[in-house]
Amino acid sequence: MSETGIPCVAGLFTEEGGAKIYGSKCTSCGTPYFPKKTACHNPNCTDSKIVDCEFGGKGVIWSYSVADFAPPPPHKFDKPFKPYVIGVIDMENGLRLVGQMVNALEEIKVGAKVELVIDTLYHEEDKTFTSWKFKLA
Amino acid sequence: MQEVAVLGVGLHRFGKTGDDIVGTKSVTELCRTAVDMALKDAGVSWKQIQAVAAASSRFSGGKGWGLNGNDVVEDLGSTGIPVYNMSAGCAAGGNAFNVGYSMVAGGIYDMVLVVGGEVMPKGMIQTSGLEDPNDPEFLRQRCIGFPGPSFWSTLARRRMFDYGTTEEQFAKVAVKARKCSVGNPYARFQKEITIEDVLRSPYVSNPLRLFEICPVSNGAAAAVICSKEMAKKFTNNPPVWVASSAVATMTFDDALPRGLAGPVPTGASFHTEAKAAVQKAFEKAGIGPKDVSFTELQDNTCYYELAFPEEWGLCQPGESEKLLEADQTLPTGSMPINPSGGFVSFGEATTAMGVFQIAELTWQLRGQSGGRQVPNAKVGLAQTLGLGGNATAAILKR
Repeated sequence: MSETGIPCVAGLFTEEGGAKIYGSKCTSCGTPYFPKKTACHNPNCTDSKIVDCEFGGKGVIWSYSVADFAPPPPHKFDKPFKPYVIGVIDMENGLRLVGQMVNALEEIKVGAKVELVIDTLYHEEDKTFTSWKFKLA
Repeated sequence: MQEVAVLGVGLHRFGKTGDDIVGTKSVTELCRTAVDMALKDAGVSWKQIQAVAAASSRFSGGKGWGLNGNDVVEDLGSTGIPVYNMSAGCAAGGNAFNVGYSMVAGGIYDMVLVVGGEVMPKGMIQTSGLEDPNDPEFLRQRCIGFPGPSFWSTLARRRMFDYGTTEEQFAKVAVKARKCSVGNPYARFQKEITIEDVLRSPYVSNPLRLFEICPVSNGAAAAVICSKEMAKKFTNNPPVWVASSAVATMTFDDALPRGLAGPVPTGASFHTEAKAAVQKAFEKAGIGPKDVSFTELQDNTCYYELAFPEEWGLCQPGESEKLLEADQTLPTGSMPINPSGGFVSFGEATTAMGVFQIAELTWQLRGQSGGRQVPNAKVGLAQTLGLGGNATAAILKR
């Protein structure tokens, strides 16, 4: 966890009162969205009713991969580059959400339980920038 | 609707900037070689071409690199013909073929040139580079860092979980692909490799390794297509017919992690755009998976040679590894996949790929594919998949 972290992109997530991402939900068909949407994109939904929604909590790993080489810009990372695991997580809140894993590759398995956290992504000009990530629960 | 024939095809061999194959050639120069070859193959003069359907990454946004069909026309001699610049990411070549086909089939033109070519920037394909929080691709790369190869390796990892696929089996697909490329004069890589070579190559994104992922390449491809009436006047080659050509985009129930998040899907609906394009192509042609002699599919990574045939009904779910192990995906097997050597042997010159597949299908159906020839090839299936949820499929027959 980062005490003085600045979100790498503003307005997408918070760690106040527990890690949460800011998204939307259509109250008509129940479809969750992240990031926020202004209209429902479900072609079978005839009555788009979008409300703001905060998503947090737990999920299970659908699959995962490793960034063994540093991705090109606009990705930012602390040098020297350290490979990280990317998880695709089926959340209890109904989202299939992608994010970096805090844990090492050796610990990770499809089907393992995880929780959403806010963690350090990179440092720049003595500042710490954060993003949402997942941690084995 | 009138029947459409592929009259002539051409390629510029694929290579990497600075090598002995493509050197410092511009995309226009690469296309000139491919177009000249296709015109000669067809026995058609440039002035007989009535319109151009170009696969054009220039208009996909991005960094401004890529083909502009107007440059090709200016290079060959500005005759004033219409140019349709189609953008659909890596599916653009297939889209250009579909537009060219549709206009000939619909009777708008009788003779159309389809062309795609690329001089690719080095390294992993980048997004626009603009810091725009409204751009989902910017958010995905800044907040996560989820490059293309990691997207593919997420799917490969899931396949390992679902079907018990091993890293050795992914490696065996690469070995098979490169075996096909031997003697293909247009492939960038033309040498056989061993399973040990593949397994010694570094992970680009675990579990996928360097030799299992197509690099970016420079190259070009062209096809001259025409109406049946017009085809009768040109008898250079045995006729190859377009049985169908289809385009589709992904559907809302797609299960793949393409953005930051989507709703958890209710089923395993993978690559919905590719499946829909192939199914539409089958329906329009009145041809089923069992009738397909061979397939050229978009193998950005070896994973796709295992996943796609199952998703389209060419074989049963979980059966691909068995067919691979029994050498049935070789040109001489029961389900030949990518006899050309595929993207893994060519590298990807994005907009050329859909047209490159048409060239390989045409040569195979004419029986001109030499050591990689599929015996008695009668029906060929081609498929592309492009960023943004684009896909195309085409079925050619003799």
